[in-house]
Amino acid sequence: MQFRQSVVAITAACFLALGLQTTTASAGVIGTQDYLSAEARAGHLADINAAISRADVQAQLVSLGVDPANAVTRAAALSDAELAQVAQEMNNLPAGGDGFLAVIGIVFLVLMILELTGVTDIFKKF
Amino acid sequence: MSALVGATALTGCTTRLPPLPEDPRRELASVPFFPQTIHQCGPAALATVLGATGVRTTPEQLSPLVYIPGRRGSLQVEMLAAARGKGRLAFVLEPRFAALQAELAAGNPVLVLQDLGALGIRRWHFAVVVGFDPAQDVLILRSGVERRRLERREQFLRTWQAGEYWAAVVTRPDQPPATATGSSFIRALAATERYLAPESISDANAVALARWPADPLVLLANGNQAYTAGQLTTAISRYRSLLAIEPTHLAGRNNLASALLDAGCPRQALTQAEQAASLLPTDSPLAAAVNDTLAKARAAATGAAASTCSAE
Repeated sequence: MQFRQSVVAITAACFLALGLQTTTASAGVIGTQDYLSAEARAGHLADINAAISRADVQAQLVSLGVDPANAVTRAAALSDAELAQVAQEMNNLPAGGDGFLAVIGIVFLVLMILELTGVTDIFKKF
Repeated sequence: MSALVGATALTGCTTRLPPLPEDPRRELASVPFFPQTIHQCGPAALATVLGATGVRTTPEQLSPLVYIPGRRGSLQVEMLAAARGKGRLAFVLEPRFAALQAELAAGNPVLVLQDLGALGIRRWHFAVVVGFDPAQDVLILRSGVERRRLERREQFLRTWQAGEYWAAVVTRPDQPPATATGSSFIRALAATERYLAPESISDANAVALARWPADPLVLLANGNQAYTAGQLTTAISRYRSLLAIEPTHLAGRNNLASALLDAGCPRQALTQAEQAASLLPTDSPLAAAVNDTLAKARAAATGAAASTCSAE
């Protein structure tokens, strides 16, 4: 993302230096691919939020000292690739998503989210 | 999955069926055949389906792209990726026999994943279904070293089930599969675009619009296509059709605002841009584009005394 911003900045600088007008294609058009990746991202976030919202998962998180609301917020900070990975792991959990193993799995994924977004150093303690 | 079968699977335990007469009504007889060499059923099957769409390639050329020793589970994905690299669209079918039949009827050979193992030992195998004879209840496949392998349907279904009925077709960009939807087609096209010439992409979009004129994603893609080509009137028309079907479509609303702005209609653009901004969810990756459009529409609308707008 940072790389992308810097590319945009360089492009803008070039336009200024060359004195070009930027009236054509000026406004922010959303390309088909950009739209599709935004849509996929929203779907992954919804899946993760639904999993974190389960009562049994929330109880486990609270007992571990993790604020579920914080976990939901942090999930939005994941990169597209990280989010896709977490969502895929979630889909690989035991069929039906019920029962003890599923809760353990979701809690583990939440801890992974927190680790990825730098909130905890939980894995370094093991 | 690493046991990408090989010769062992071909000597399998199935009894040989008596030869079936070739019948062009039930069989895609012109689909090429590449007999598989050791461990290379993936490249052979891929060369077969690609060859059927006019791509001239061989299993030897495809092998470095899809054959990764020791890597498990990603092979199907890589088969699809390799097809895209050759400028073809790849579609995973719904896991139903009816979908396979529909594609055969439309002239598309179907790539399938089978488990030819026995006694609990898995032997994964890629093959290509080129025909189905309902009278005999027999499928016709390009498989391994057999150009025309016959399998009874129940036997085929048993081997196909193990891989969760995985099946795929690859098609030319301007020839959507029989079972595609507007949405699945545009997704497949977007995944392949970087390998396609601009005219191929615009042809594919036009074909999609003719077949799915009321699909939101098809309309968005066609609007963007026209916009990129500088055809503002067409782009505006496509975005408006899209919004008539789905008024809360954020990208459609934003892009309509942007196209109106470029068409010299700042006031109409501002109205659309404000609506787009009101649709924006928190943390949306599209926020930058939408806010950019809104800022530019505001700037243009305040200074616009005489408008050259011709779009209503």
